[in-house]
Amino acid sequence: MSEQNRSVILDAVRGALQRKLGDSLAVRPPALSPRQVASQAEELQLLIDEIQKLSGHAQMISPSQVSMALAELVRTYQVKQAVLWDAPLLQRLGLATRLTDLGVRVIPAHSDKQTLSECDLGITEADFALPETGTLGLLSNAEHPRLVSLLPRLHLAIMRPAALRADLHQVFAEARTHAYLILISGPSRTSDIEMTPTLGVHGPRDVHVWVLDTDQ
Amino acid sequence: MKAQLFITCLAEQFFPGVLEKMVVLLEKLGVEPVFPAEQTCCGQPLFNSGFQEQARQLAIKWLDTFSQSDLPVVSPSGSCVDMVRHHYPALFPPGTPEHSRAMDLASRTFEFSEFLVHQLGQIDVGAVFPHRVTYHASCHLLRGLGVRQEPLQLLQAVHGLELLPLEGAETCCGFGGVFSVVYPEVSRAMLQDKVNHILDSGAEAVVACDAGCLMNIAGGLRRVGSPVRAMHLIEVLASGLNSD
Amino acid sequence: MQKSQLQSSEKKIPHPIEFGAYSEHVPGQIPSALKYATGRFMEQRAACLDELPEWEALRQAGSAIRLHTLENLDFYLEKLDQQVIAAGGQVHWAKDAADACEIVLELARQHAVKRAVKVKSMATEEIGLNHALQEVGIEVVETDLGEYIIQLMGTGPSHIVAPAVHLKKEQIAEVFSQEFGIEAPTDPVELTAIARRVLREKFLAADLGISGANFLVAETGTLVIVTNEGNGRMCTTLPDVHVAVAGIDKVVPDWESLSVLLKLLPRSGAGQKISVYTSFITGPRRAKDEHGPSEFHLVLLDNGRSRILQDPGGRETLKCIRCGSCLNICPVYRNVGGYAYGWCISGPIGAIFTPQILGVQQAGELPFASSLCGACDEVCPVRVPITDILLHLRRRVAEGDAYEPAVVATPLRAAAALGRQALGTGWLYRLGGRLLPWLQIPWLRAGWLYKLPPPLNRWTKVRPLPAFRAHFRNWWKRRHQVSTGDQP
Repeated sequence: MSEQNRSVILDAVRGALQRKLGDSLAVRPPALSPRQVASQAEELQLLIDEIQKLSGHAQMISPSQVSMALAELVRTYQVKQAVLWDAPLLQRLGLATRLTDLGVRVIPAHSDKQTLSECDLGITEADFALPETGTLGLLSNAEHPRLVSLLPRLHLAIMRPAALRADLHQVFAEARTHAYLILISGPSRTSDIEMTPTLGVHGPRDVHVWVLDTDQ
Repeated sequence: MKAQLFITCLAEQFFPGVLEKMVVLLEKLGVEPVFPAEQTCCGQPLFNSGFQEQARQLAIKWLDTFSQSDLPVVSPSGSCVDMVRHHYPALFPPGTPEHSRAMDLASRTFEFSEFLVHQLGQIDVGAVFPHRVTYHASCHLLRGLGVRQEPLQLLQAVHGLELLPLEGAETCCGFGGVFSVVYPEVSRAMLQDKVNHILDSGAEAVVACDAGCLMNIAGGLRRVGSPVRAMHLIEVLASGLNSD
Repeated sequence: MQKSQLQSSEKKIPHPIEFGAYSEHVPGQIPSALKYATGRFMEQRAACLDELPEWEALRQAGSAIRLHTLENLDFYLEKLDQQVIAAGGQVHWAKDAADACEIVLELARQHAVKRAVKVKSMATEEIGLNHALQEVGIEVVETDLGEYIIQLMGTGPSHIVAPAVHLKKEQIAEVFSQEFGIEAPTDPVELTAIARRVLREKFLAADLGISGANFLVAETGTLVIVTNEGNGRMCTTLPDVHVAVAGIDKVVPDWESLSVLLKLLPRSGAGQKISVYTSFITGPRRAKDEHGPSEFHLVLLDNGRSRILQDPGGRETLKCIRCGSCLNICPVYRNVGGYAYGWCISGPIGAIFTPQILGVQQAGELPFASSLCGACDEVCPVRVPITDILLHLRRRVAEGDAYEPAVVATPLRAAAALGRQALGTGWLYRLGGRLLPWLQIPWLRAGWLYKLPPPLNRWTKVRPLPAFRAHFRNWWKRRHQVSTGDQP
């Protein structure tokens, strides 16, 4: 049925437009020019400010501070179980070990979804960051699974300054060849009940972004 | 200079005083008005009801009437001018004599406030109206013709007039021509909002540039027993002038 | 009260949409809730636009891109088809609502689906998908909080972006209490927490995820979904099978186009610079150890869109990106709410979309559900000429055109012709002007007319009519005679 429908519908569309099979394509009208950026320091500050405006938390951090900051996070949010992306950066920072030391059970990223949904904390990197809107862009593959940034109530994204992009044009130019991209701008929210803003509907209630002060 | 008067059916039936004052004011500003007596209605009510074929017949008559001379056409109604400027040309196939006449008339038909400000270069016409006034922006004037600042400029130049802001000034009053009788309850709700905003503004008078809005708003104010007057811009600008 | 109207909105409607009848008895809660909610959306939108000096240029670009896509739609649909398949997805083509439901039902049968979770989708409301699945015993859970609430209440959405915006928190607490057998609190934060717990179980247990599409990118076969809550991600990642249903008008040429459209959509609709989550999904997961569905199905829905495409006077309707901005600004919508428009899409866009899909026989009242104020045209991010299309459809209703015969009965058309004769015949028109001041006397009080007979009672029941007083022509004659009399 569907194959036949395909012809019927395409014929109907062509007929409606008075186009014929194989008619050439007009040039797509232009998009607007990409954004001009300021210095990296200004971009990073803008990113941090915008994330805070979205009720997320963002800060510059040096690798040596990560350990303490992680302890603080675990304490504040009473993290019992965590899951991490399998990423060299996160390994270099020794996060899994540190979590274990803090008494947090580290769940493998390939666990079943029921187990993953019981995690309190999910740690990922950010492949892209858009300062104007406080947005993180995350690609996905077997080592960087999607649910890590979605199921736990707390999402921690650790990023390098090199992830900064000027705007959507730049992100799209790179991401278009990938099978999956998620743009995340702050914690999950809704105003569906009497226009009252509420955080943590289905996705994480809290988003923390740590920007490493080095691109190592 | 001379100009043809397009008085409009609603203003003719309900606001003759506005038309008289328009004549006197134009003369004061050095414009000799000409009144083509054959005019009736531009056809907007029929057009808006979907009877475009009927509206086309009235458009032909209107074009016949006003193309007798090359003079510009002035009207006290934004919606009627919008009809002529935007909808008349589309009623006739390009290349036909009617279409050329429609395009010609569209280029020289003006609403009163835009005529004063842009064609006559007049903003202070010497009017005196020492009252608190607020302004309702009629939809077709504002969005159809893009006339936003001109009535405000003219009001601000009136001596003694205190112009107060109106909340939702650019929100429709609920007239919408046939809409007001096709869906009266929705029209009622919209009118209620407009009247409430007018009462909240603290103004003694609300000014608009369209007979339809004025009929609707004046009726709404009357129904709640409010002393606030609904006036046409022309009545304010002509204040102090004798019309005999 | 609205229940039957909305249940029927899920199926093909056999009876006409009665905007007028509904609008006469709007529950008072609806206008007050809508004015508050839409007011907030518009304030937020205005704040966004203040920061974006290139807004008008973006609108123009968005409009041009959408129109270009529609004018070359066959090319882009074929490209989309090809790319989705190359990415490992499957494409199904549905001529109408029945086809589309059959396709999804068949998929559900093949996969022995018992439980489905859904992201809000106007296309699925249009085809009545929930009903079709529920009839064969499949549980379908709406996961957008507002949609979930109205699903529990058994009603439909009153606004395309904020479906439950007309409800009070007490009503929501009540329905949660009934559904879960608890004493639900009225605090929105706590109510949301309850929904989060309940719906998380549903997400985890679902066999099938159903979504719509905000955009379909032809260049790479990519589905774009925009949400704030995260349910879009849940539905398209957790279940093993994902079905997306989308109108053929949802296609955009390429990712570059998205850089314009994604700047327009969240700002226009909800006053956000960007929504919390924007997902870009190209086909199913690539490897077994990745997260995501193993099967991705795209159902492309025509259901009358190719017919709209054929009509140059209505074609631009399909540029719509479903932002909801026209609803938020519309004084008619704000005073009556979404149910009055009788189908899944309401407000100004509903008033033009519905009659073109369902036909003017059924939806002929809708093009008149507007005062033609033009506010919608001004706010539409892709410049759909809504007012022009309303007039185009009014003509279809009153006179008929190449696409449909007139709905208006012959007597009314005859009356219009007579009316035109009277208005267009100079002496008759002037005679009327002279007679009316006399004829009106029985209803005249202090310069106003009250309680006029039909049809003018439809005016006077709301407010009095000023008295008829057509004396300008006499005044002009006198004045002219006086002045010519003075000439030497």
